[in-house]
Amino acid sequence: MTDKDRPILETRSLGKRFSIGTRFSAEGKRTVHAVDNVSLTVRRGETVGLVGESGCGKSTLARCLVRLYDISDGELLFEGDDITSKSLAELRPLRRRLQMVFQDPSASLNPRRRVGDLVAEPLRIHGKLSSREITARVAELFDLVGLLPDHVMRYPHEFSGGQRQRVGIARAIALNPDLVVLDEPVSALDVSVQAQIVNLLADLQEKLQLTYIFIAHDLSVVRQVSTRIAVMYLGSIVEEGPAAEVFAAPAHPYSQALISAVPVVETTPSGTRQRIILTGDVPSPLKPPSGCRFHPRCPIAADRCRTERPELREYRPGRKAACHFATV
Amino acid sequence: MILSVRDLSVSFRTNDGLVRAIDGVSFDLEESEILGVVGESGSGKTVSLLAVMGLITDPNATIEGSIRYKGRELVGLPPRELRRLRGNEIAMIFQDPMTALTPVYTIGWQIAEQIRAHRNISKAKALERVEELLAEVNFPNPHEAMSRYPHQLSGGMRQRAVIAMALSCNPALLVADEPTTALDVTVQAGILDLVRKLRATHKSAVVFITHDMGVVSELADRVMVMYAGRVVERGSRMELFSDPRHPYTRALLGSIPPLTGEKPCRLPAIPGSPPSLLRLPQGCAFGPRCPAHYEPCVTGKPDLGSGTHAVACFRVAQA
Repeated sequence: MTDKDRPILETRSLGKRFSIGTRFSAEGKRTVHAVDNVSLTVRRGETVGLVGESGCGKSTLARCLVRLYDISDGELLFEGDDITSKSLAELRPLRRRLQMVFQDPSASLNPRRRVGDLVAEPLRIHGKLSSREITARVAELFDLVGLLPDHVMRYPHEFSGGQRQRVGIARAIALNPDLVVLDEPVSALDVSVQAQIVNLLADLQEKLQLTYIFIAHDLSVVRQVSTRIAVMYLGSIVEEGPAAEVFAAPAHPYSQALISAVPVVETTPSGTRQRIILTGDVPSPLKPPSGCRFHPRCPIAADRCRTERPELREYRPGRKAACHFATV
Repeated sequence: MILSVRDLSVSFRTNDGLVRAIDGVSFDLEESEILGVVGESGSGKTVSLLAVMGLITDPNATIEGSIRYKGRELVGLPPRELRRLRGNEIAMIFQDPMTALTPVYTIGWQIAEQIRAHRNISKAKALERVEELLAEVNFPNPHEAMSRYPHQLSGGMRQRAVIAMALSCNPALLVADEPTTALDVTVQAGILDLVRKLRATHKSAVVFITHDMGVVSELADRVMVMYAGRVVERGSRMELFSDPRHPYTRALLGSIPPLTGEKPCRLPAIPGSPPSLLRLPQGCAFGPRCPAHYEPCVTGKPDLGSGTHAVACFRVAQA
């Protein structure tokens, strides 16, 4: 196996449990399976898009992937190296190569510090650079993300949302990471600014040979940036495959409903697009339904779905779905 | 004509100077018509609707122009009179349903209270009506839902409860400010369906504010695009989406990644960001970001003009 094909990140039956409540609360101590049995392979240079409704566990999964959360079950491998239970000290050198960009740039940037300082921080912590070298590197980073050199002396509140997100990106790429996990990086931005950031991310990926894991609830943005996508429902992956194929012909009924629900600009008289409207809400992960977790909302659910939970299986090279009746 | 707004301007005195949140906005709304108002944050779409509702109570605000509801002037109407209209004939739905619901009372109690504030009926009658309303907005089990507290409902269900509350007095005008923005697409699809259905059954006119062009194109009969406090383009849904004329409308539509078909290598993004209302550029506010920018754009603000498909752009006017 050459270095190119080797997965940069791999999860094997990864799970994350949270316990909520105390033994004194009404229902007692309970466990939520926020992420359940996720096996995902990320190859070098690709962008994997994670989509799903709120509460489906995509952000929890993202945080597990960079070990911001401790992993409850399964394994997490970075370049074939098991990092599931590495200590914080052992993880430190890896942090340089595994970075994260958050949704709300104003919450992830310290309002009392100048942005130049904020971008220099990772360099000070990890690098062995002199202060002159750091200044030069910060200037270079500002240029890369499209900020002006004199912006270094400003505070986060002096920037617009788009510029703040550029600062967040500059911080994430400061140490030349290999993998960047982007958790809803454009969701808080205006449409006209969103496109700029999407383009910037694409440019940086090419220039710096980055691998992305891209989380967003806006499916058209995910389609634009991703090479592969994974659709999550209630903590598990229900469909996975090349982005273009999944969007053109989703196999899982949930993916079909999700994609059909996206409002698109139509210039034809209304009513040309078929829409699947799901009934009910996402069930609580505290009491997941029996069998296939999607069955209470599924338009094609049968008896088998109520009892037997479908495995995520590869029914065609590269395309996986967890459904007894996947449209192949 | 339900609503007729003429030359509406709202400005706020702030420590940093006068902010013109909206500047010369005019529009009409017919019975059972859905008007979509699109724009980015700070474009003035919410402020113009708050003005219509008479909800701008900031002592530093100045409201100019005219807002006529069924021929009656609303600007300068005493708060008592306005309160009689609001919630009764004019109802509003906000982005976050929790701003309209109190966490300490049940859904049924809150909606019944709203009905009894405007109608002289008994509590039992009001509660009966609540159950009907909750059924109408597709609560699977309306009777049980009445005894629920807001925190026991999901986001989509809360928004349905707020819609039920807004509809409780059969409003002639429903104002919805980004009601689906905080919801998932699957839930959003259900709510949009509901709004369409209600327009048909209640004959309410709807003003629907959103930043999502897709939502507007699915729902609205007519569309108004706003930028930096002014209306830049106005037209029917078909006119606006099949023949967008203002450079901003075109650019905005272009910067949305497509969901089907060929994937562009790069998205045609609009450079820069929306201007601060404190430091508006001279002339046309979109000028500095506009690809078709030329000399006259700096000298004056283009007028929207009249007609069904109106565009505020010197280039378009010239062509």
